[in-house]
Amino acid sequence: MAAETSTEPTATVHQGFLVLERFRYLKLASLLCVLAIVAYWWHQPASGPGGGTWLGYTLGTIGALLILWLTWLGRRKRKYASRLGTVRGWLSAHVYLGLSLLVIVTLHTGFHFGWNIHTLSYVLMLLVIASGIYGIAVYARYPSLITANRDHGTRDAWLAELDELNEQSLKLADALDTQAHQVIVRSIDRIRIGGGLRAQLFGPREAVRKAFARVEQELGETTSFMASQIRPARGAAAISPDAHSTVMFMAGQLASSTQDNENAQKLLDLIARRRDLTSRINRDIRLHAQMQIWLYVHVPLTFALLAALIAHILSVFIYW
Amino acid sequence: MEDQFKIAVIGSGPAGLSAAAHAAELGLQHVLLEAEAHLSNTIFRYQKGKYVMAEPSILPLRSPVSFGAGKREQILEKWNQETGGLKVNQRLRSEVTALNGSRGDFTIKIADGSIVKAEHVVLAIGMQGNIRKLGCPGEDAEFVQYQLDDPDEYNDETIIVVGAGDAAIENAIALSERNKVIIVNRRDEFDRAKAANNAAVLKAIADGRIQCFYNSGPRKAEDQAERRPRGVLVLNTASGEVHLPCHRVIARLGATPPRKFVESCGVVFPTPDPTSLPAVSGTYESNVPGLHIIGALAGFPLIKQAMNQGYEVVEFILGNKVEPADEPLLRSKFGSLPGFTSVDAALDLVQQRVPVLAPLTRLQLREFLLDSDLRTPQQGQTIFERNDYSDSFYSIVEGQVEIELSAGDRSRTVTLGPGEFFGEMSLISGRRRSATVRAGQGCVLVETPRRSMNKLIYSVPAVKRVVDEAFLRRAILANIAPDAPPETVAQLVSSASVLAYKPGQTLFREGEVGDCLHLIRKGSVTISRHMDGRDVVLAYVPAGQYVGEMALVSNLPRSATATAAVATETIRIEGEAFKALLARMPTVRERVQESYKTRLARNVAALQQPERGGVIGFLMAQGIGEATDVLLIDESLCVRCDQCEKACSNTHGGLSRLNREAGPTYENLHVPTSCRHCEHPHCMKDCPPDAIKRAPNGEVFISDSCIGCGNCQRNCPYGVIQMGVEDKNKPSLWRWMLFGGREPGAADHDHHHHHGGTPKKAAKCDMCKSLPGGPACVRACPTGAARRVSPEQFLRVARKD
Ligand SMILES: Cc1cc2nc3c(=O)[nH]c(=O)nc-3n(C[C@H](O)[C@H](O)[C@H](O)COP(=O)(O)OP(=O)(O)OC[C@H]3O[C@@H](n4cnc5c(N)ncnc54)[C@H](O)[C@@H]3O)c2cc1C
Ligand code: HEM
Ligand code: HEM
Ligand code: SF4
Ligand code: SF4
Repeated sequence: MAAETSTEPTATVHQGFLVLERFRYLKLASLLCVLAIVAYWWHQPASGPGGGTWLGYTLGTIGALLILWLTWLGRRKRKYASRLGTVRGWLSAHVYLGLSLLVIVTLHTGFHFGWNIHTLSYVLMLLVIASGIYGIAVYARYPSLITANRDHGTRDAWLAELDELNEQSLKLADALDTQAHQVIVRSIDRIRIGGGLRAQLFGPREAVRKAFARVEQELGETTSFMASQIRPARGAAAISPDAHSTVMFMAGQLASSTQDNENAQKLLDLIARRRDLTSRINRDIRLHAQMQIWLYVHVPLTFALLAALIAHILSVFIYW
Repeated sequence: MEDQFKIAVIGSGPAGLSAAAHAAELGLQHVLLEAEAHLSNTIFRYQKGKYVMAEPSILPLRSPVSFGAGKREQILEKWNQETGGLKVNQRLRSEVTALNGSRGDFTIKIADGSIVKAEHVVLAIGMQGNIRKLGCPGEDAEFVQYQLDDPDEYNDETIIVVGAGDAAIENAIALSERNKVIIVNRRDEFDRAKAANNAAVLKAIADGRIQCFYNSGPRKAEDQAERRPRGVLVLNTASGEVHLPCHRVIARLGATPPRKFVESCGVVFPTPDPTSLPAVSGTYESNVPGLHIIGALAGFPLIKQAMNQGYEVVEFILGNKVEPADEPLLRSKFGSLPGFTSVDAALDLVQQRVPVLAPLTRLQLREFLLDSDLRTPQQGQTIFERNDYSDSFYSIVEGQVEIELSAGDRSRTVTLGPGEFFGEMSLISGRRRSATVRAGQGCVLVETPRRSMNKLIYSVPAVKRVVDEAFLRRAILANIAPDAPPETVAQLVSSASVLAYKPGQTLFREGEVGDCLHLIRKGSVTISRHMDGRDVVLAYVPAGQYVGEMALVSNLPRSATATAAVATETIRIEGEAFKALLARMPTVRERVQESYKTRLARNVAALQQPERGGVIGFLMAQGIGEATDVLLIDESLCVRCDQCEKACSNTHGGLSRLNREAGPTYENLHVPTSCRHCEHPHCMKDCPPDAIKRAPNGEVFISDSCIGCGNCQRNCPYGVIQMGVEDKNKPSLWRWMLFGGREPGAADHDHHHHHGGTPKKAAKCDMCKSLPGGPACVRACPTGAARRVSPEQFLRVARKD
């Protein structure tokens, strides 16, 4: 017992949802697809393949049940005390079984497509799946980008530091002269966090709202005032409180070198640090937004799909 | 002026107050001496509006003064009224500075110079000690205060905070939001404070939010009532005198423990350990005849106990025999003892049968047994299993138990009989049980919780000695030389000594001559090697294993450095004795050589992957070396959805015990602010009702008996405990989906501020022990980023198969 001491950290402690249980759900989904394809080959109905054959009904029912179950993820996710599997397991199955719909439902249709409610539901399904695939892609890429951008900071600490920098630069500017003071005040007013309306609409809900509330409170600004200011040029973030003009002004001060060179130099350093911070914060917000925004497509499309699906099923029974 | 009394009570906390009130009720000549200008200073200093609880609820109250759970203000008000009604002879602002004499003739000196004489003295000064004052002229000026209730009360003031501990730093930072704050530090560092506070204050100073005077001390505080601001604090600094005008001085200099004063009265403390308390008899009498000690100072940390003792001690002084208030409780505990007649007889029996308990006074024994439980398991019943996380201590009163040494092998057992004890291994190491124990025939056991046992170990040296010796013998037998004949073991034991190391202290260094072996009995150790100008961590070695054998086997100098990762204790076995053992016992030799080879191979492997060493080093710096189960987030998987926090909050009354974003990150490994279920939980240290427990699976949790004192919050070095009120109503998922409103799992901010009269209690992670299947945070994480693991699991034991 005492002999088995030495230890090494292992990378296997964390197991992502895609590789869960040695791809258990990938295997299950593949099996489902293979069975469906074999049945499709083997089954040669007189009227040709399609949703109306017994195999068509079977595949359609499987597809519809799968869709209902995939939608149920939204509920399981929020039933925190539920002991019915882990959310990670659910998501793993969600992804692979969701992808298997591509085969199952396509075979169900017998490749009959047209301008009708049936094909509408099919297209909606494809869109949901496509957004899901996009989601997987961002989930794989963005987390590490966020960590790298964070560089050991937290958003709260950044905002606090920004606040301090603003205060310090005001103090320094005060000591310089009133014109410098005004330039700094204006540059503080110009700080935008969250990148304006766009990020507010599409960004990570709470995070942006919190950030806005903080900045609003700290800078004593109102949202309406912010809106009246220059909108970010392009892209969700784009803030530049220390626009060229501020730096130019400071550089001018330095060059003219009337009295307080040292303070002006300090002020410039502060401004540089502030610029770095604001761009980091904005990048952080943007990365969060980009990582999470697709869900705001995935979920509404899911509900549209459900509606179209109900219409499809009703219509085939009514017009049979 | 000299006054003569039958009973002088020193200290007007619940204990002293109750004693004086009972003396008044009986019409005895008495005096109640209180240092402060008000009664019951400890409770007076509770936070405003604090809800005071009356634990233990099963204990009846026996005192002329009433007490029930309620607001601090109401309780103090009632006590003032009732002591007034009983005409208690109280002398406020009368700090006792010296006490001499013994029964019949005590002389009590008071700070104002007056003298009081008494036949009997009741010492009830509690454990809070005396607040350290500025120690310079003007220390009692009006603008100097020694406490801060609510930092938000002050705006736009210049405030000088004196002190460098956690309280001073926390106050200074909180005040600096709206005031100009100057902190005065006698030394040139803040390293006595918690790491987080130290970093925060240094940053605040660097940023200019707080001004700091290092190596400075107060010289004089001048009150100038007519000026604005009214105060001036004069400092002695390295560069001369500095005059600081200010509105307020807040001094947070800690308190002097009462021990010195108590010792000066002639009372003996059993051990030098700071947690040691004076021993008192069954009638609360100390080693000084006629000097009685009650309340927190006698080791009874709750108000109700203190008040009962106040009543009882007066009766004892009068020579009356009163049945202690806890008698019915003991009776119901011992009723199941075979052949039970009376509590006294049962206590005698236990003390006779169990030698470790022999040195206890009657009162200590009562207290000990009150906390303990009597167990009469059926023959063959399992008392605890190997790998259980229980930490209680068992003494055998009757019958036998069987200890199964190796897992699943019922043939290799050791039998313990009456008078022996077991369970000390986990008590000391803080780790899982190392063996399974089953009851034999007619088994009667006393099971004692960890805290009571530790208290005993620290206050009765004889108990400590016996337990330490048994631990040493059993640990050597189990971990180093199984099957060794008793005389060989005895030889090793006699060469062994117990050493204590602070975190970061080295056991031995690379290149030194190896002259001993360390068996780690508590804490953990990292093994590192100096390479390319930096230390590469090779391994983490937890308690229960040994280090340092390599140099002894190979006769080469130490190949690596061993450093204590946390507070650690080891059993040091001298190299010569160990080598003699190896020479005598070929089986041991083989095992040690086998382990030597694997360790060597692993060290080589670890050296080839220095980045792994970086991860271990990082985790150890986060205190994972004392964790049993820690939440780790892989940030490359974490999509920042906060499902983990929401799950925690949703399953725990709207109060998340986890802060995902906070906490350090190394590469992609993030250690969020969440409980690590420490081997020796710091939070348990000072919990008056002993409400923090460890469940068999290892979860450290807070039970309902929490009184909300906040000690655990202050004691946890990882900042994972918060005070709050749980909300029993969970938001409904359907209502949220259909009508909006509060989403399940979302924090309920309103509720935190408007919890009505419900008292705040401590809340921390309980690993969802009431839910099957493990912690909700991990189960709710969609991507698998969040996992709870034990350090061993993370730093997996990699064996070459
Ligand atoms: C924050 C906090 C919250 C708590 N909450 C609870 C709770 O909810 N319920 C509960 O049951 N317990 C609670 N406790 C524990 C409880 O306060 C103590 O157990 C109790 O006060 C002990 O009573 P005592 O009479 O022994 O000593 P104390 O109450 O400490 O009284 C000692 C008195 O002696 C005076 N004194 C000291 N030295 C001298 C001297 N030299 N000369 C004259 N007078 C002197 C002091 O000024 C003080 O008034 C809490 C403790 C703390 C710290
Ligand atoms: C309970 C489940 C389902 C039943 C009973 C069902 C039934 C049918 C029937 C009877 C047809 C043949 C209609 C015809 O030939 O005119 C059909 C065709 C079709 N179904 Fe389904 N279906 C189901 C689920 C689905 C699902 C989940 C989708 C996709 C999202 C889907 C998409 C289609 C499409 C695209 C067609 C082809 C339309 C066409 O032939 O023009 N069906 N379905
Ligand atoms: C028709 C098929 C699908 C339906 C109806 C569906 C539906 C849903 C629903 C309702 C949610 C819950 C969102 C929430 O409440 O926050 C969700 C989440 C998600 N889905 Fe799908 N989905 C489908 C297919 C897919 C596919 C094919 C993929 C991936 C390839 C995918 C990936 C995801 C992911 C990654 C999440 C997010 C989980 C989280 O962050 O909590 N989905 N889906
Ligand atoms: S609350 Fe703090 S001290 Fe207590 S077990 Fe958890 S991490 Fe350790
Ligand atoms: S639940 Fe998992 S993915 Fe979501 S924030 Fe927590 S650790 Fe990150």
